[in-house]
Amino acid sequence: MALANQDPGCELRRIVRINEEIKSVIARAFKINLMAMNAIFLAKRAGQSALGFGVLSNELRRFAMDLQRQMTQLRETTYGSVATVTALVKQARLNNVLERARREATGIGRGVIDEFMRGRHGFAHARQREQIGALNRRLSQMIADTSQLVELGSVLARSAKIEAAYGGPFSAALMQVSSDFENTIGEIQRSLASLSKQREL
Amino acid sequence: MKTARVIYEEGGHRWLALVRDPNRPEYLIDTNEYLVSVGDDAILLDPGGNEIFPAVFSALSTEFDPRKIDKLFASHQDPDIISSLSLWLEFNPQIKCHISWLWASFVPHFGGNQDTFVPIPDGGADIFVGGQRLQAIPAHYLHSSGNFHLYDSKAKILFSGDVGAALLPPGEDSLFVEDFDRHIRHAETFHRRWMGSERAKRDWCDRVSQLDIEMLCPQHGAIYRGAHVRRFIDWFAQLEIGIVRR
Ligand SMILES: [Fe+2]
Ligand SMILES: [Fe+2]
Repeated sequence: MALANQDPGCELRRIVRINEEIKSVIARAFKINLMAMNAIFLAKRAGQSALGFGVLSNELRRFAMDLQRQMTQLRETTYGSVATVTALVKQARLNNVLERARREATGIGRGVIDEFMRGRHGFAHARQREQIGALNRRLSQMIADTSQLVELGSVLARSAKIEAAYGGPFSAALMQVSSDFENTIGEIQRSLASLSKQREL
Repeated sequence: MKTARVIYEEGGHRWLALVRDPNRPEYLIDTNEYLVSVGDDAILLDPGGNEIFPAVFSALSTEFDPRKIDKLFASHQDPDIISSLSLWLEFNPQIKCHISWLWASFVPHFGGNQDTFVPIPDGGADIFVGGQRLQAIPAHYLHSSGNFHLYDSKAKILFSGDVGAALLPPGEDSLFVEDFDRHIRHAETFHRRWMGSERAKRDWCDRVSQLDIEMLCPQHGAIYRGAHVRRFIDWFAQLEIGIVRR
């Protein structure tokens, strides 16, 4: 866990990276939504032989919408953490100036700063640790929930692939759509894995 | 660290100039800070920027307990004047900052809250330090549009913010102006470019001409004293200002 002794500026850069990853997942969820709509039309045209595929496409569309919603929440939480981390950056900057003042000061000035920093350190540290801990727990929980959801999406995509085999003359087209689903969901899973690596503040 | 120099002392009434930090990096403009104290009560004038806080704080505390400072005076809103506000507030959250009403909602971006600022109306105001009356004298548009100087009628000192400022080369940075003609060359470009209003300049010259001033203390450069004060005002009165050289 990074505290004020590490460079909190890198925490801000990390939040930017997390946010970019979240944006890319949202974009892919949107893509799945569109793909699912097309798949629903395709299944309708294929008729009786693609009934199962149609049902799965509907499920995939609902999945895409749920995913979009969860990622938006995750993004809001990440933005919320910008305030906490900005406070850390300010604290670190303040510490830095005070440390310089302590080195320069003699006599009463030195005593004043020493006393001030003693009081400040314990308090600020405990509060920061608490805030960052809470933030980390919340982010981990959200990412775990999302990973579960995406696992479901991946099962749906695999089932769609199996259903595609029964699509008669539309089989090739349905197969193409279902591997597109599979690939996009695979990309999302990789993004989430990198998110859980980055989330620890 | 900077040096704390006593420039006036009479009874418990004292003016301290915090000047000339040999370790100041080139890229920061040199500034003078002043502490006016009467007994245990004190006001810090143009406390300076964030970056030089250590130098100011250390120099000041060689002569005065920094925890007792509960008043700041900011001639205007510039970063070299008041960006250290949040640091001073760390030591005394009750500190009051006297500044033109014009800037009272801008400077909180440097720190402080609704209780921190005492807005000075355009006409000026009195600020009392240990019972001694100090007067905020209007100096608007010189250079800032909401700008005050601080006059101490007992010590006969006018703190003049950026007016009188000079950018002194190394080796010519004595605390007091010695050779006026030589000194004023380092002030000329600064005043021509920074001071924007001819009319405000004339008003200011008229206003301060009526004050009894023994020392004119700018925020940059050297202090004018005795006859140099009058010479400076006359020089400024005839200087053409508000000019960008191309
Ligand atoms: Fe200025
Ligand atoms: Fe200045």
